[in-house]
Amino acid sequence: MKFLDVLEPLLPALLVVAVITGLVYVGSARRARRYRPGRPFDFTPVWFLAKPEQVTDAEAYAALPAGPARAALPAGPLLAQQEVTEPIGATGGASDRW
Amino acid sequence: MMGGAPATTRPEVLDGPFNTRQLLRLDEALRLADSSTGLTFSVYVGDLDEPSRGHAEKLLGQLADPARSVLIAVSPNQRVLEIVTGEETRRRLPDRDCKLAALSMAAAFGGGDLAGGLVSGIAQLADHSGRS
Repeated sequence: MKFLDVLEPLLPALLVVAVITGLVYVGSARRARRYRPGRPFDFTPVWFLAKPEQVTDAEAYAALPAGPARAALPAGPLLAQQEVTEPIGATGGASDRW
Repeated sequence: MMGGAPATTRPEVLDGPFNTRQLLRLDEALRLADSSTGLTFSVYVGDLDEPSRGHAEKLLGQLADPARSVLIAVSPNQRVLEIVTGEETRRRLPDRDCKLAALSMAAAFGGGDLAGGLVSGIAQLADHSGRS
């Protein structure tokens, strides 16, 4: 009985603490989509760029109006023999797994 | 930053592997890397078709200036990381430096830290590329 008398004035404070704790746990549980190696991780693929307009086929961005067409210069003897085989050119970089 | 949609709907990027804070960190890292090096840094996170290297190179080819770009492609489910540099970028950013960055990124990914690994990897690659 004495214990309950002591506890009674603290009930509102305890209630507030319980509500805040509950909200924190609910919020963190909703955001907990942490990647764990070896476990399936379903998400929408994403592609980040500092400037999205740098993607050539970005459909979401309006294209600039085309300028006036100009006649192509006739190719010289050296250029006429060359064929474009690799549009990107030689790439470099590295690969890794974990 | 890509992955967006019309302002009225929920952006698709929020269904990706990162929360808002991590997206902001990635965005800042990409902006800093682009502005300090003059190159175009991009990050793809998602499944890669086999061979993953070929798929990553195709993605690089979709950028406006592939020769002056760097693509970091990460597939968490396949546990694959590909760093692809364009022809011109390769002269400033040798494969050996890319491999060093890849090692540290893979270590972070192995610990489950996708965003942290990407942010530090971008900073490392930008640092090795030097100023424009």
